[in-house]
Amino acid sequence: MSSLGSDLRLAWQLTRGSGRGEWWRIALTAAGAALATGLALTAAALASLRGHYAVPLAEGLLSEPGTRSGVILGLLLLLIPVLGFLGQCARIGALRRDRRLAGLRLAGAAPGQVRRIAALETGPACLLGSAVATAVSVTVMVRVWEHPAALTWVAVALVAVAVPVLGAAAGALALRRVVASPLGRVRRVSPARPGRGPGRLFLVSLLVVAGLALLAANTTSSGPRGPMELRTPLTVFAALLAVGAGSVWLSGATCRVVGRVLAGRARSAATLIAAERLRDDPWAAARTHAAVLLVTVVGTGFVGVRQAFLEDLHESRHLGESIAYYTTGLDLTAAAIAVGLVITLSALAVGTAESLTARRRGLAAQAAAGVPRAVLNRALLLETALPLAPALLLAGAGGMTVGTAYAALTASASWPWAALLVPLAVYVTCLLAAATALPLLSRTVRPAELRYT
Amino acid sequence: MSTRHILLGLLASGPSHGYDLKRRHDERFPQARPLAYGQAYTTLQRLVRDGLAEIEGTDSDGGPERTMYRATDDGTRELARWAGEIAPPAPFVTNEIFAKVVVSILSGGDPAAYLRAQRTAHMERMRELTVVKSASGADLATVLSADFALNHLDADLRWMTTTAARLTTLTAEVDTA
Amino acid sequence: MSMGHNTAGPLLAGRALVKAHGRTEALRGASVELRAGEILAVTGASGSGKSTLVHCLSGIVRPDAGSVTYAGERLEELPEKRLSELRRTEFGVVFQFGQLIPELTALDNVALPLMLAGTGRAEARAAAGEWLERFGVRGQAESRPGELSGGQAQRAALARALVTGPRVVFADEPTGALDSLASEQVMSALVHTAREAGTAVLLITHDAQVAAYADREVQLRDGAVASLEVTA
Repeated sequence: MSSLGSDLRLAWQLTRGSGRGEWWRIALTAAGAALATGLALTAAALASLRGHYAVPLAEGLLSEPGTRSGVILGLLLLLIPVLGFLGQCARIGALRRDRRLAGLRLAGAAPGQVRRIAALETGPACLLGSAVATAVSVTVMVRVWEHPAALTWVAVALVAVAVPVLGAAAGALALRRVVASPLGRVRRVSPARPGRGPGRLFLVSLLVVAGLALLAANTTSSGPRGPMELRTPLTVFAALLAVGAGSVWLSGATCRVVGRVLAGRARSAATLIAAERLRDDPWAAARTHAAVLLVTVVGTGFVGVRQAFLEDLHESRHLGESIAYYTTGLDLTAAAIAVGLVITLSALAVGTAESLTARRRGLAAQAAAGVPRAVLNRALLLETALPLAPALLLAGAGGMTVGTAYAALTASASWPWAALLVPLAVYVTCLLAAATALPLLSRTVRPAELRYT
Repeated sequence: MSTRHILLGLLASGPSHGYDLKRRHDERFPQARPLAYGQAYTTLQRLVRDGLAEIEGTDSDGGPERTMYRATDDGTRELARWAGEIAPPAPFVTNEIFAKVVVSILSGGDPAAYLRAQRTAHMERMRELTVVKSASGADLATVLSADFALNHLDADLRWMTTTAARLTTLTAEVDTA
Repeated sequence: MSMGHNTAGPLLAGRALVKAHGRTEALRGASVELRAGEILAVTGASGSGKSTLVHCLSGIVRPDAGSVTYAGERLEELPEKRLSELRRTEFGVVFQFGQLIPELTALDNVALPLMLAGTGRAEARAAAGEWLERFGVRGQAESRPGELSGGQAQRAALARALVTGPRVVFADEPTGALDSLASEQVMSALVHTAREAGTAVLLITHDAQVAAYADREVQLRDGAVASLEVTA
């Protein structure tokens, strides 16, 4: 226990001695962890309910097991962009942290010790976020729910503990290369070969979330299955997942191809720099863009489904229930997608900022050599814009397929044109998110960066 | 440096006369002090006296008569011994610059000013040597001999910089001793 | 060059330059002049203000006090855009390392300044190839900076600094990370090309053997010029 104490002290000293970037990482990680905990807690609390249970919220949408499972599914799906955001936060200051921990290894720290310190640097931030979210959630829960079930309490406790533990484990996992070889990351030279894509990792986590979602859907819907209207959206979501996973894979490939094609024909300096950066490390872009594509697929699909569903609803009012019941469900889903988009865009902004910080010395040297700031700005935006265009086109097409398929299924008359606006809107907001890093670029490009060699 | 052994070395490729040896010496060792003809002649006579070289004959070649010399077997053996023998690495530290700094302190002079002036002279010489070695068409022998001198001058310079920074302490030490 | 200035006076002059980084004063009234086509070495211990002096003279930073005049223009009065343009067209810079863009090939790195000046890509690459040839790194044209040796990278960096035909090259410890042989190759390449093209070079170094390539040396001590030596 005393060794853990000294490790904790060391982790604290290292964090305190580091720059502002480290505090940003802690704050953003805590925020991400809070969000993840909040979503997971809500899902867990809902999942602990059995059968019909009167919940006086959202037009009684949460009362029925069938619709409840849909909400749980949505909450779990929202976890995906949150995980992406957390992953992006872990990368803030990664280069410096890698060097720091490699320095520890060179100074004689054992691999286990370094791993523990790395975990301790991430864990407390997650713990903080999770604790705040748990406190708020429990307060709200006790306020609106007079007698929470025992199972609910167990689920709440599980989630509150699991988030920081998983966060710390992810922190330690991210540093496995440093732990393996102390010299691994100390060198300035980037590896000659771009690393393997994060596709596998992402796919695995996607499968886990999807599995959980299906499990939740099955266990909550006790008794006979819900009517056809509810099972169809489930199938739709499954299809969306498949298309989303596909676009993740395609994102990396697109980045590589776009980079290669453009690098050969680039006419302007900005395009050349952006294209060569993409070709050099296509997965860096894919990592940030994967969640964007997923949101686009879901968003486009949803707009299509919504249009057809509403039409269907207006035409055949055979259910004899209030339309508000259904529209509330649709509105909730729309809100969830919007939240997902916001989280994804935050991750994109954080990622762009981090990539600037990581290569600030080189950028300062470019500016010193007279490369105009406008060219550097353009190259930064093009890095986001170039690979995103074809990938979004594809994701939009995927979402449209889902939407039109649903429309065909419900024999809807009109074609969901409105859905076409979604990829366009996502594209524009992504560029805006990347542009938020531009002020940082002009602050980064300073001669002071040239002084420390 | 042993002029005897260098002349023996030049004779190793075949008999030669005094003037030719002087010319080849200056060619092979471009940045060394040029060999005076008189010195070549007296050194050759000493080699003959010690049995390391002998007179091959005379050669007029249309001009004035010249005495040709060649190395004896003893001379060849002596040359091989000398060439394989290590040069003693700085057996005595006799450094004129250091001596002048100390004397300057003892006599109440300005050692710092002296070091500055010496530095300027060193840099000047280093620039000259650099011009010689980076001239297009400079052969490798020239480049290497210039490099040898440059490195030694550079070592002097670094020593002078350190000494200049520690003059106060040195002055106190010399004055109390 | 179309810049009309008095050829008898200095091409670039810094006068009474003062610059502080936070509480430490890097420059305290340093003055230095560079004539057209001359090679000037700035030497001094680490922390004596050498790099800051070059940053001020090349318009990378603005001095707190004092003035920098280049070909009749007062740099401290110019907007950042014009300074950028000056550095791109009239000046060339070489640092110890890190000035090549890691994602671009050596050839594209050298072609970049020309592309920024509006030259077409194919033409820029052709010109860049000739410069790489001149510095003996043509064979590494398609390599990325990470795949080059230190000496090769520095020669590519020199090619990049000289490709636009600048009138002044600022070289901040260009051989700082090299062994003596590579350092010699880089320096003689720089000096030969500069003399041929009539480019003035401001060379920062702590190495006397590198400083010996210059026509003249200025020594900095504590942010001011310690001695000014002029050789014929």
